[in-house]
Amino acid sequence: MGVKLNVNGDVVDVDVSGDTPLLWVLRDHLGLTGTKYGCGGGYCGACTVHLDGAATRSCQLPVSTLQGRAIQTIESLDQRHPALVDTWTNNNVAQCGYCQSGQLMSAAALLDGNPKPTDADIDAAMTGNICRCGTYVRIRAAIHQAAGHQATGSAE
Amino acid sequence: MMNTITNLSPEFSRRRFLGVSGVLVLGASLPVRRALAQTPAGTFEPSLFLAMDGQGTVRVTVHRSEMGQGIRTALTQIVADELDADWSRVEVVQAQGDVKYGDQNTDGSRSITQNYDRLRAAGASARLMLRQAAANRWNVKVDDVAAANHEVVHAASSRRLGYGELATEAGLLPVPENAPLKKESEHRYIGKPVIHVDAGDIARGKGTFGADYAVPNMATAVVIRCPWLGGGVKSIANKPMNEPGLVAIETLDAAPSAGPLFAPLGGVGVVAEDTWTAMRIAQGLDIEWTGSPNQTFNSDELRQALRDAVAKPGTPVPGSEKGDVDAVFAAGGTELSATYETPFLSHAPMEPPVAVADVTEERCVLHAPLQDPQSARPLIAAQAGLTPDKVEVTPTLLGGAFGRKSKPDFALEAVELSKRVKRPVRVQWLREDDIRHDYLHASSAQHHRAVIDDEGKPTAWLQRSAFPSITTVFAAQAVQPAPWELEMGFSNLPYSVENQRMESTGIRPGARVGWLRSVCNIFHAFSANVFADEMASAVGRDSIEHRLALIPASGKLKQPGQPAPPGHELDFGRLRHVIERVRKLSDWDKPRPEGVGLGFAVHHSFRSYVATVLEASMDNGRPSVSNAYVVLDCGTYVNPDTCVAQMEGAVVFGLSLSLYGDISMKDGAVVQSNFHDYPMLRIAEAPATKVELVPSQGRLPAGVGEPGVPPVAPALSNALFAATGTRHRTLPIRT
Ligand code: FES
Ligand code: FES
Repeated sequence: MGVKLNVNGDVVDVDVSGDTPLLWVLRDHLGLTGTKYGCGGGYCGACTVHLDGAATRSCQLPVSTLQGRAIQTIESLDQRHPALVDTWTNNNVAQCGYCQSGQLMSAAALLDGNPKPTDADIDAAMTGNICRCGTYVRIRAAIHQAAGHQATGSAE
Repeated sequence: MMNTITNLSPEFSRRRFLGVSGVLVLGASLPVRRALAQTPAGTFEPSLFLAMDGQGTVRVTVHRSEMGQGIRTALTQIVADELDADWSRVEVVQAQGDVKYGDQNTDGSRSITQNYDRLRAAGASARLMLRQAAANRWNVKVDDVAAANHEVVHAASSRRLGYGELATEAGLLPVPENAPLKKESEHRYIGKPVIHVDAGDIARGKGTFGADYAVPNMATAVVIRCPWLGGGVKSIANKPMNEPGLVAIETLDAAPSAGPLFAPLGGVGVVAEDTWTAMRIAQGLDIEWTGSPNQTFNSDELRQALRDAVAKPGTPVPGSEKGDVDAVFAAGGTELSATYETPFLSHAPMEPPVAVADVTEERCVLHAPLQDPQSARPLIAAQAGLTPDKVEVTPTLLGGAFGRKSKPDFALEAVELSKRVKRPVRVQWLREDDIRHDYLHASSAQHHRAVIDDEGKPTAWLQRSAFPSITTVFAAQAVQPAPWELEMGFSNLPYSVENQRMESTGIRPGARVGWLRSVCNIFHAFSANVFADEMASAVGRDSIEHRLALIPASGKLKQPGQPAPPGHELDFGRLRHVIERVRKLSDWDKPRPEGVGLGFAVHHSFRSYVATVLEASMDNGRPSVSNAYVVLDCGTYVNPDTCVAQMEGAVVFGLSLSLYGDISMKDGAVVQSNFHDYPMLRIAEAPATKVELVPSQGRLPAGVGEPGVPPVAPALSNALFAATGTRHRTLPIRT
């Protein structure tokens, strides 16, 4: 089926079967490969995008349901959250980096709704994102830093 | 820093590689030759690893694979430092698999150990040539000119020339042997925390991992593999014909049921125009499989067999026996004995295996997240039906690997399918494929038995280890653990015991086993560190005090079998030092609240020393770790921030396997399939982590990626014992 999508502010037409998850439309049809496949089951968060501003697992979103919804991917993050991109870079948060698009999109959604999150807020918002390399302590620190205040306790 | 692995069109990237590696250049260790003949005008290529153009842009070729350990950055730091390059004018080029680079196998935590000297020499030779070129131009002595930050300066006359302006002339000079190296105090990148060369791209979603590499007209394949090793396709009941988007359905030969090495597992390849179409059609197939001897394999039975094996004598480790263990046991005294068990584990790198192959009658071009593109190349060539010189293998970024991606089976699948459908093909493993068809980390059992004195020191110590050897993957007849597996924390126990014996037993598994981050050190460090803690607690002694009493005050371990390379012997003083430091770092002697325990473990592996203390308690019936303290001595380090990050990551990796890691097999098939039944540690469970690095002190560089993992599980077990009085001898620790 033909679907009109609004991705990173651009309206694009794709012609795919309606049950195709947004993840594969982004990756295979729109060349937006920043969004990653990690599990296909909603467990890992590697595929996290923003749907109408909320962090959402794109592997669980059939494209047929997305007509007219606003989708933002990691490729737009630099424009919307340059501080996150900078703190992630300057703190060497990423190890292999494969989970980090998803981590950053979850972090961005958190900061959009809660500009000064506590460690507990961070843990709650980021719990859907697995990092097999184990960068969690740096993720906490980088979110605090991007939010413009120091860690409240455990992370440094 | 520009970064040339990312987001290049394939055309550009191929051109780039021709530009660099299509030219014969000198190896850093080769004798003096004229560089002129091999160098195109205007460029300076004094080494395989280093080239410079007339604009002064330096290209460092990295021949190891990046999987999060920061190797693209660290190797570049080494060259750029000795070259005295301006970091912002250095680019990184990823090497293809090619014997000309020497060993490219990115495993065993040895990329720095193996390449530190030769890459320093490469940078230093180039710096000397640039100084010589400037000295010639100014007609002064080379000793009177100095290199500094991409320039050569003649202080006496205040003249200076940029490296780029000197490139052509430097390229005409002979490559010097034994160019002077900097002193440690003169290093500007080595030993400094440098931001990873790929960090900025990754934070923008621009890093190119295996699945992100695309070529025109590429199809995507999903392969359904037989649940048991060695089974093949008998029939497909419902082969679809005219599904839109379907390219082909291909039957692939089964791997050998024993000693499969890196052979693809076989199965049914569904090739389609996009990933979702391939997935959907693959999942709908009704496939009947042929049998294999592995079809009856059950992990519960293996675990029983491993327990039985360590309950009786195994094969003594040659040269490990000291004194007379049996006589001491017969004489009686305070005796302790315990059996430890660990399950199979799956690597589960965040990026499932994936590969892109473009096979034609003349060439095969392969891009994939491979840990060893060089050893994969002849296998890929054979699969493609071509000679290796017709094959290009380029590693992408690896989205985690942990040992999984040193086996190129998934790349061979892509090659075969591309050859069949005569189009470029990407093979995408699903997470379910990854968990079910891994080279599993071996399940194991250890038995320890000791007689201890009043201070908890063993007068006799018998240890046994049983596990399926990795060598079973290489040879259909192999059974016994190899010496190199036993040297991972078993036969090289660093404690002084007068009467000692070590025995091992191997059991062939009905599955592929392989090396996972720190390999046999995981279970050997677990059992030895928990047993040592049991000795201490049996006499009411502090675990760290007790451990220091077991380790000789100084000197080096003489391990049975092959001696360690000079400079890499286990040094008791360094082992004691990391223990002393972690005691301080963790405030070990400060009492913790009721119900909170500290656990300590120490391990030497991959030539490094790591001591770890965890602070843990039980929280709603589940173990919970609040703080981790790690001290690492890896000799000379290149990027301290990377070393710290690797220890932080090792704590998380170690806790995942300690709390959750458990792969079971029934009727030849892995039971688990995805992160819901093979969970990973999540952010709320990650402890605050403090890491200290022992200063370099001019020592040989040692491993960093793996050695942080082994102490984690025993430190957790010991912490929970301190917190609750319950001993955990089996992993994972769930309650
Ligand atoms: S890929 Fe979507 S949650 Fe894992
Ligand atoms: S950085 Fe590798 S999985 Fe998170």
